[in-house]
Amino acid sequence: MIVIENLHKAFGEVEVLKGVNLHIKPQEVVALIGPSGSGKSTLLRCMNYLEEPTSGKVTVAGTPLDGEANINKVREEVGMVFQRFNLFPHMTALENIMLAPMKVKKVSQEEAQKKARELLERVGLADKADNYPSQLSGGQQQRVAIARALAMEPKVMLFDEPTSALDPEMVGEVLDVMRSLAKDGMTMAIVTHEMGFAREVADRVLFIDGGGILEQGTPAEIFEHPQQERTKSFLSKVL
Amino acid sequence: MDFNVDLVIQSFPLLLLGAGITIKITALSVAVGIVIGLFMGIARIGRIKIFRWIAAIYVDFFRGTPLLIQIFLVYFALPLMTGQRSDPYVAAISACGLNSGAYVAEIFRSGIQSIDKGQMEAGRSLGMTWVQTMRYIVVPQAFKRVIPQLGNEFIALLKDSSLVSVIGFEELTRRGQLIIAKTYASVEIWTCVAIIYLIMTLTISRFVAFLEWRFAKDDRH
Repeated sequence: MIVIENLHKAFGEVEVLKGVNLHIKPQEVVALIGPSGSGKSTLLRCMNYLEEPTSGKVTVAGTPLDGEANINKVREEVGMVFQRFNLFPHMTALENIMLAPMKVKKVSQEEAQKKARELLERVGLADKADNYPSQLSGGQQQRVAIARALAMEPKVMLFDEPTSALDPEMVGEVLDVMRSLAKDGMTMAIVTHEMGFAREVADRVLFIDGGGILEQGTPAEIFEHPQQERTKSFLSKVL
Repeated sequence: MDFNVDLVIQSFPLLLLGAGITIKITALSVAVGIVIGLFMGIARIGRIKIFRWIAAIYVDFFRGTPLLIQIFLVYFALPLMTGQRSDPYVAAISACGLNSGAYVAEIFRSGIQSIDKGQMEAGRSLGMTWVQTMRYIVVPQAFKRVIPQLGNEFIALLKDSSLVSVIGFEELTRRGQLIIAKTYASVEIWTCVAIIYLIMTLTISRFVAFLEWRFAKDDRH
């Protein structure tokens, strides 16, 4: 579904990604863990070209990303959920979800609204359709953000630390939605600090450190039997 | 000093006619200024280099030279380009609108830059183009945020519109001059003119405060 070949990304002098290769299969759930500054968010953001790779190749659903030419087309297939939600504050929850399908896919207003209500139902917020983001809790905002991404019917969902900005008691409701997505067979790449969640939901865990994938494997392999010293020391601090 | 009240009362209708024209050219210039300013403000932070350059030159020129000179330039340069005598109306609104557009461009630029960049990222990641994201997401939020500065700009423009009297345009200030030329009642007429300007600017500032309050209420929801 996503194929990354020899991906390099530098911000000025600082090289953040140093030749990453990664192949995410359809319906696979991949968790990216690692210390902050390791490049895991940058790697995720390269998957929908929010960061432009310095070199290397990213292919999404068979389409190679090559800059502005096809980027909007590819982004329709790739949903993204941000740490800080990034809901549109001047629109209601419903309008947040309806906007992109109407403007990008030229879906009719009625159809967009029907779909948006279904999605709000799915994330458990049917009664919040007409609320503005400022009237919702963090957990509710993030669930609306997930619904907004799903409205484009993406083939892949990218999550960039989706629970890091939430109060602890709200983390569960967001993870529940993500868990059900995974169960329904959505292809997902998740940057997360929720080790318990990664262990439970991910098919594969990538330990990212120093701008590359240092170690990867099933949750059992990574969490029970890490091979690398860096992985062991990281896990001992966070588990 | 005698203050000739009868004269003020007699001249008042004529001055009000002038005030009407002042309002008209200010309103039209504001409209021109907002349209130009919005596009120039966006061009200044857009990705197309040539647009950035054009916008920067435009803003520098119209903020860096006196409005009075701009009015003369437009008034005398237009006939050279069109081959016809300048219509003072067109010249006045062009000059004031272009001048205001430069200030409005800077207001919009700072307003747009104050919107969290996560908004643009969210829009783009949903497959919307840069232009769509600007139009539906960033600009509407920026617009609300810059209403107080826009209000100040329009008050300034209303006062500066008095400068178009130099090309014979009979707005409030010019009317005052003409009445004084006949009656020599400088103090009476200029006092009266000042009060009419004051009423107009206060009305605008109250209206802007009202808009601000309305939008602040919207945000609270």
